[in-house]
Amino acid sequence: MDLISTVLVGLPMVVSLMLLGLLGLMPASLRPQTTEAMRLVTFVISLVLFVVTTAMALGSLGDINWLAIGFNEYVLEFQYPWIESLGVTWHVGLDALSFPMVWLTAFLMPVTQIATWNEKKGAVYHPLLLLMGGTLMGVFVSLDLFMFYIFWELTLIPMFFLILKWGGKERRYAAQKFFIYTFTASVVMLLGLITVYFLQQPAAATGAAGDFTGRSFDLVALTSLANDVHENGGIFLGKTMQSVLFVMLMLGFLVKLPAAPFHPWLPDAHVQAPTGGSMLLAGVMLKMGAYGMFRIPIALFPHAVETFQFLIMLFGFVSLVYGAIVCLGQTNLKKMVAYSSVSHMGVILLGIASQQPIGYAAALFMMFAHGIISPMLFAVCGAFKHHYHSMEIGAMRGMAKHSPWIATSMMFGWMASLGLPLLAGFVAEFLLLVAYWAAFGWWILGPGLALAITAAYYLWSMQRTIFEGGDETQPPATMEGKPIPDLDQSEKVAMLILAVATILFGIFPFLALDMMDAYTQTIFAALFGGA
Amino acid sequence: MSSLLRVEPFSAGFFGYFAAETVLALGLVLMIVVPNLGRGTFRVPGTQVRVPWFFGGERYALTGRPDLPGYISVLTLLTALVLLINDLLNTWDHTTQEVLVHAVGDDSVRILAATPFSRLMEALFIGALFLVALASNDRYRSTPAREVRSLSALYNNRRQADLHILLLTCALGMTTVALAENLFVLFVGLELAGFSSYILVAFNKESKFGSEGGMKYFMVGSASSGVGLYGLSLLYLWAGTLQVDALALAWSNIGQEILPYVALGLMLVGFGFKVSAAPFHFAAPDAYAGASSPFAGLLATASKAMGMVGLFRILLVITLPEGTEGSAVWLVLLGVLAAITMTWGNLAALGSKNPKRMLAYSSVAHAGYMMAALTAVGVWNLGEASLDGAAEAASEAVLTALLFHLVVLVAFKMGAFLVIGLLEQEGEVKDDRTLSGLSKRSPLLAVVMFVFMLSLAGVPPLSGFLSKLLVIMGIVKVAAVDVAGSGASVSVFGLDLHWVWSLALLMVLNSAISVYYYLRIGVVMFFDAPAVGRDRPVPRTVFTAIAIAICLTGTVGFGVWGDPLIEVCRDAAEALLR
Repeated sequence: MDLISTVLVGLPMVVSLMLLGLLGLMPASLRPQTTEAMRLVTFVISLVLFVVTTAMALGSLGDINWLAIGFNEYVLEFQYPWIESLGVTWHVGLDALSFPMVWLTAFLMPVTQIATWNEKKGAVYHPLLLLMGGTLMGVFVSLDLFMFYIFWELTLIPMFFLILKWGGKERRYAAQKFFIYTFTASVVMLLGLITVYFLQQPAAATGAAGDFTGRSFDLVALTSLANDVHENGGIFLGKTMQSVLFVMLMLGFLVKLPAAPFHPWLPDAHVQAPTGGSMLLAGVMLKMGAYGMFRIPIALFPHAVETFQFLIMLFGFVSLVYGAIVCLGQTNLKKMVAYSSVSHMGVILLGIASQQPIGYAAALFMMFAHGIISPMLFAVCGAFKHHYHSMEIGAMRGMAKHSPWIATSMMFGWMASLGLPLLAGFVAEFLLLVAYWAAFGWWILGPGLALAITAAYYLWSMQRTIFEGGDETQPPATMEGKPIPDLDQSEKVAMLILAVATILFGIFPFLALDMMDAYTQTIFAALFGGA
Repeated sequence: MSSLLRVEPFSAGFFGYFAAETVLALGLVLMIVVPNLGRGTFRVPGTQVRVPWFFGGERYALTGRPDLPGYISVLTLLTALVLLINDLLNTWDHTTQEVLVHAVGDDSVRILAATPFSRLMEALFIGALFLVALASNDRYRSTPAREVRSLSALYNNRRQADLHILLLTCALGMTTVALAENLFVLFVGLELAGFSSYILVAFNKESKFGSEGGMKYFMVGSASSGVGLYGLSLLYLWAGTLQVDALALAWSNIGQEILPYVALGLMLVGFGFKVSAAPFHFAAPDAYAGASSPFAGLLATASKAMGMVGLFRILLVITLPEGTEGSAVWLVLLGVLAAITMTWGNLAALGSKNPKRMLAYSSVAHAGYMMAALTAVGVWNLGEASLDGAAEAASEAVLTALLFHLVVLVAFKMGAFLVIGLLEQEGEVKDDRTLSGLSKRSPLLAVVMFVFMLSLAGVPPLSGFLSKLLVIMGIVKVAAVDVAGSGASVSVFGLDLHWVWSLALLMVLNSAISVYYYLRIGVVMFFDAPAVGRDRPVPRTVFTAIAIAICLTGTVGFGVWGDPLIEVCRDAAEALLR
C-alpha cells in the first residue's frame, strides 16, 4: 500500500523512458509507424494513474481520511535510503496539500492526450508527455529536499523538448528562455536549500542522517525540527537568517509561479509551446511554484512570512493588475491567456499574504481551479490555431455562427476564468475576498476592482471573436476561402470533460475545498498559533 | 594510524605493489618491439652468411598490422586500469596500510607512496587515457597495408605506433605524479606527461590549427613549467629538501621569511597553467581547438587532474599546517583567482561558436569551481574557524567533493569531446554547425551528447549535478555552519557566514550562466537542419561507440548511484590529509 506514491512517480517515468529508449534504438524509418501504439500505451498508463488517484480521493483505495491529516503528517509514506553518505532518502508521501495537485496531474494527463489526439506530432511526443507527468508527480510526492530538487529540475527537460520540437516559429528562443529563467532561479533556491541543510544541527537530524555530513535532506524531520523550535518560542535559525533563506527559496518559486516581474519567460513559452505542452504547463507546472512555497518556506520560516507579508502582497497585487492590464492590450489570443495566468497567480500570492486560514484556502483552491480552467483555455487556443491557422484575436469574426463548438467552449472557459458564480474559479476569488474583508476591511476594494479588469479583457475578446460580425461573418484570411471547420470529436470530448469538472467543482467545491480547509486550519494552528 | 610498509625500488615486493606501472612499462616495451618484428637478418661481417634475428626487415603479417599498436595500448591500459580498480576496491586495506618507496639505503627519504589517494588518481588518469586510446583507434584510422591506396591513408597508417607510445609515456608520467612523495619526482612525472601531451596536441597534422595549437601550448607550457621549476629551486634553497612531509614540517615553523612565499607564488603559476586557471589559461582554447578531440578531452580531464594533484600537494599538504603563521597564506589570493577563473571562463564560453573552444572555456570555469573548493579547505586551517576537533572532517568533505568532481568529469567532459571527435572524422570542427541537425542524423548520439551537456551544466540527476552539489555543499558547510558557531567576524549580508560562502553563491550564478551555452548545443542539435556536407549518417565507429557508452554509463550511473564512488573518494581524501 505504501508503495502507491512511489508507483505514481515510477510508473509513468519508467514506461516513458522505456518507450523513448525503444524509439531511439529502432531504425528511423520504422518510427512513424509506431505513433499509434505509443499514443495508446501512454494513454492507458495515464488512465491507470487517473483511476488510481481518483480511487484514493474517494477513499476506496488506501482508506484515507483526507480531512484528518495533521500538520507535517503524511499518508502512504515510504522511505528508503538512496545516497547514504549525504543523508538522501527516497521519501515520498501525500497530504492534503499535495494530493489535489497529484490528482490534478493524473486528471490532466489523459485529458491533454484526448485534446491533442488527432494532432500529427510523431512518435516521440506521447512518451514525452508521459515523462512530463511522471516528473510532475515526483515534485508533488517528494518529502526529501534532494529528491524534490531533482524532480523540480527534471520537469524542465521534457518541457524543453516539447517546446523545442513542436512549438511555434519562435520556439527556439522560447525554449531556451524558459529553461534559463527557471534554472537560474532554482539554483539560487538550491543554495538556499543547502544552507538550510547545513544549518540544522547534526544532533537533531534524525534517522536518515548521512554518515558523511551528519545531516539529512529529510523534509519531514526538518519541518518538525523547525516547528519544535517555534513551539518553544524560539526562532528557527534566527530572524535574519530566516529572512535571507526565505528570500532565496521564494525566488525559485516566484519565478516558477510566475509573479511579475519574474514572468517574462511565461508568455513566450506558452505562445510557442504546442497545445498539449501549454495545457500541462499552465495546468500543473505553474502550480509547482505555489506548492513549493507552502511546502518549504512557509512551513519552515513562519516568522519570515510575517516579515515579508507586505512584500508578498505587493508582488501578488502587481501580478494581478499588471497581468490584467497587459491582457487588455493583447491581440494574440494565446498570449492573452498566458498573461491571464500571471494575473491569476497573483491571486495565489494575495491569498498567502492575507495571513488568514481562509486566504490560504483560497490560494490552494485557486491552484486547483486554475489547474482545471487554464488547460481548457489553452485547449481552446489550440483549437483556434489548429482550425483557423491564426492566433490573432481579430482574425475571426462571428465564430458563433460558423464554429458553435469552439465558440461555446471559448465562452465557457472565459466565463469560468473570469469567475462566474457556480464555476470553479468563482469559489477561489470569493474566498479571497472574504479573507481580505476579514483581514483588512475596506482594502478589499483593491483586489476586488482588479478582478473586475479580468472580466473586462475576457468579455472584450469574446465580443471581438465570437459575436462581432454577426451574420456577415468574416472568416480569417489564413483560411484562404476553405470551409470553416469546428472542433473534431476528440477535442469535443476533452472540452466536455474539462467543462464538467469546472461545473462540478464550482457547484460542489467542498469535494476539494474541505481537504484544503482542513489543511490550512492545521498549518495555521501549527505555524501561527491559530487564526 | 596507518602503518607504513617500506620497500626499496626494484626490491622483491616492489613490482607487486606497483603492478599497474609495471604493466605500463611492459606495454611500452612491447609497443616498441612488436611492430618491428620481422624477417630481418644480420650478415656476419666478412661473409655472406645471414643470421636471422627477427628484428626489422619485412614484417610478419601479424606484427606488420598497422592496427596492432592500438590494440597493444588499449589492452595495456585496460589491464592497468583493472589492476588499479581491483586494488582500490578489494585488496587495499585503506585504513591500515600504505606502501612507501624510499631511497636505497636510507628509508627516511621518501620517493613514492601508494595510498588510496594516489591509487584513485592513477585510476582516473589511466581511465581517461584508456578512453582516449580506444577512441584514437577510430580517430586516426589504420588501414591494413595491402589496401592502402591514397597518400593520406598511408599517412595515418604510419602514425599508429608513435601515437600510442606517446599515450603510454603520458600514462607513466601521470601515475608518477599521483604517486610522488617528493616534489622533484612529481616534477619529473609532470614533465614526462606534459611533453607527451604537447606532441599529442600537435599530432593533428591534417589541420593547420593542430600545429598552431601545439606550438602555443608548448611555448606557454614550457615557460610556465620553467617558472614553476624556479619556484621549486627556491623552495629547495630555503628548506634544503623537496620531500613533501619534510617541507610541511618546515612550513609549520616558518618565520618572517620572504623566500618560501615567493617560491609558493612561482609554483602556483606552474600548476595554474596545468589546471588552466585564469590568468594562465590563454593557450588552452587554442590547444583544445587544434588538438584532435580525444586529446582535447585528455587535456580537459586527466591533465587538469594532474595539475590539481600538484596543487593538493603544495596547498593542502605542505602549506597548510593547522593554525600557524604561514598556514594558508594563499587563501585570499586563491579565492580571488577562483572567482575570476570561473567567471571569465563562463563569459568567454558564452561567446564561443566553436564547440571545442566552448568546452575549453567551460573547462576553465570548472577549474574555477575546483579552486573555490580548495579555498574552502584553506579557511579551516587559518584559524578563522572554530575547529571543534572537526577540522579534518570538514576539509575532508570539500576534498572528497573535489575528487568526486575530478573523477566524474572524465565521464562527461571526455564523453562530449569523444562525440565531437566522432564528427571530426567527417571534417574539421570549426563552429557549431558541425553539430547542427545531429538528432536527424543519429537521434541516439544527439541524446547522448545532450546528456553530457546537461551534466556539464549540473542538471540533476546526472553526475555533474551531484559533483557540483557536493562542492557547493562543502563550501557552505565550511562557511555557514561551523564558522557561524564560532562567531567569526567576517560575514556576508550581516550574517554569520564566512566570505567563502560568496564563492558558493558565485558558483551557483555561474552555473546558471553556463546553462545558456550548454543548452545552445542541444538546441542546435535538435533544431537546426544538418549543415551542407554533414548530412549523411554519422560514421560507424565501434571503438568510439564503446568509449562513449562507458562515458554515458559513468555520467548517469554515478549521478543516480554515487555512494560507492563517494566512499572511495572519501578514503582518498582522508589519506591525502593524513
